[in-house]
Amino acid sequence: MFRAGSSGTVQIRPVSAIQVEKLTQRFGAVAAVDDVWLDIADGEFMVLLGPSGCGKSTLLRMIAGLLPPTEGRVLIDGVDVTHAPPQGRDLAMVFQSYALYPHLSVARNIGFPLRARDMPKRAIEAKVADVAAALDLAALLDRRPRELSGGQRQRVALGRALVRDPGAFLMDEPLSNLDAKLRAGTRAELSALHDRLGATFVYVTHDQIEAMTMATRIALLNNGRLEQVGTPEQVYDEPASTFVAEFLGTPPMNLLDVTLRSGVATAPGVTVRLDLPDRDLILGVRPEHLQLTTGDEAMLRGHVTRVENLGSEEVAICAVGAATVRVRARRPIGPRAGDTVALRADRFHLHLFHPETGRRLVPLTHQEISCVS
Amino acid sequence: MTILAELPTPAPTRAAAPVARPSFAARIRRAAPPYLYLAPALVLLVVWTYRPLAQAVRLSFHTWNLLPTSPITEVGLANYERLLSTPDLGASVWRTVLMVLGILPFSLVIPVVVGLVAARVRGRIYQAMIFAPMLVAPVAAAAVWQWLLDPGAGAVNRVLGVRANWLHDTDLALLTIIVVTGWHIVGFAVLVVSAGLSGINPDYADAAAMDGASRGRITRWITLPLLSPTMAFLVLMTVLLSAQWTFPLIDTLTQGGPSDATTNIYYLLWDYGFHSYDAGLGAAAGVIFFVGFGLIAVGVVALSDRVSHHDD
Repeated sequence: MFRAGSSGTVQIRPVSAIQVEKLTQRFGAVAAVDDVWLDIADGEFMVLLGPSGCGKSTLLRMIAGLLPPTEGRVLIDGVDVTHAPPQGRDLAMVFQSYALYPHLSVARNIGFPLRARDMPKRAIEAKVADVAAALDLAALLDRRPRELSGGQRQRVALGRALVRDPGAFLMDEPLSNLDAKLRAGTRAELSALHDRLGATFVYVTHDQIEAMTMATRIALLNNGRLEQVGTPEQVYDEPASTFVAEFLGTPPMNLLDVTLRSGVATAPGVTVRLDLPDRDLILGVRPEHLQLTTGDEAMLRGHVTRVENLGSEEVAICAVGAATVRVRARRPIGPRAGDTVALRADRFHLHLFHPETGRRLVPLTHQEISCVS
Repeated sequence: MTILAELPTPAPTRAAAPVARPSFAARIRRAAPPYLYLAPALVLLVVWTYRPLAQAVRLSFHTWNLLPTSPITEVGLANYERLLSTPDLGASVWRTVLMVLGILPFSLVIPVVVGLVAARVRGRIYQAMIFAPMLVAPVAAAAVWQWLLDPGAGAVNRVLGVRANWLHDTDLALLTIIVVTGWHIVGFAVLVVSAGLSGINPDYADAAAMDGASRGRITRWITLPLLSPTMAFLVLMTVLLSAQWTFPLIDTLTQGGPSDATTNIYYLLWDYGFHSYDAGLGAAAGVIFFVGFGLIAVGVVALSDRVSHHDD
């Protein structure tokens, strides 16, 4: 891949593909990362997404070489680097804490990777000036990290990663210390940066908005295991498990335990026609896909317990039998607390999950249903 | 035509109630607790530190032989004049400087090296082992060292295969005191360095490794600069306290000898006051050392603030 360098010459930018095979990290009896296989293509923006403690940061640290895996391999461009130290992997990392060296100025922080590579002083200064100009840090080069705001520190951490054209960028929740407004702006900047550099990004976050907005693909982790890997559209539109369905979306997908008999799935307050063999299953439908209805096509019947105002939209929280169902629509949504409601959704907006494993059920043929493993 | 009016900002909905001023007794009750909590410590400080200090200053302008029955006579600055005119003071200050310089390897260099190496080792046993000498009372340690350093049958001479008179040779006595004091404090200093190292966020070393720095460079460029507050603290401790650390060993092993070779400033002060029974001269020496160390402390603190980097 090529890119116009700062001096106007064309440089060959190394871009790394990262493969993770059977990667496992055990701390005592606990498997923080458990048998993870992942192919990250060169130039991809891969987001490792999951709740706190799901093992996403541990996975990133193993890719970085900061933590030796208990089992499995890490390959960069096909080369096994499992036992290589971080210095030998040509990866740059942005830490959640930014880890800016507190005793060094901004210029020395950004120039640190070049100094570690014994680049001549003059060349370091030129490169640091380039990066600082691109990140709007030129006026801050003589400051110490403690004299910077959160957003400025974040940019310095990014600058330190950018300065040496690494094969891939690893980012561990780099936006989590910024306020909401700054985070939204920085998201767009990071995406633009990825488009411009064409480099491989591996980005850890627990924030579904960051994942949905920036990722080319998302790897969702739960309890150290991969739940699903796919584009933001795939993981949102076709969640592979109830965990994914509940993790993505605000509010999350409504999940109802239903019993399917003679082509009708039922539960208290639920009546849905499904042309499928008899079985128990979990029926899922996203809050924005539920519509108020009056006719016979009602799938869910219940009453509104509360209406939440989100500004542009409202969420009606409804009791359907013993279950809680959320409906999201433009404000005003209509019914108020206490009103009875009938709800419907289009057939293609219904998701089916296995009642025990929680995995997505997809029709293999017209009338057959099987568990996707 | 429509007229546009500016929306007013939210106004207080109720008038603020006037605040009643609490009574004098109520204000005292509210303000008193912090002072009461501080009182025991303040009383102890006054009784055991400030009062003796004031008495020492007063005594330095008097002459007295420590006998309760003999008079305390005012002599003005005579004690100071006498003190500054004897060569003893300068010589003991110089020997104290040598002791500080001799102890620094034990209180700074060895602990930093041991701390950096030990940081890669798991477990706390080694820390306990290296800290153990600090738990031994100096006087008890001195008795054992006296036995080990015996010129005839001592283990040190036998192990080294020499016949040195470690404690009573003017060329060796100061070195011996330095080494024994160093042995005594090195464990404490290692513990301080370990605490300092564990206070450094491991992310810095990780980040430096990602940035391509070798282990040696991470130590030189990241770890040591971030350890500088700890090192400054150890230097300060060594400069201010070496004379005190060595005192019990000097008193038990050499009594300042041979021919004053191990007489440091505090042993000189002790000698004036409690061997020569010249309380005024001892007090004058005490006041001078107090002022001198005060100035040194201010200087070292200012210097360490300048050179050390704090991890925030």
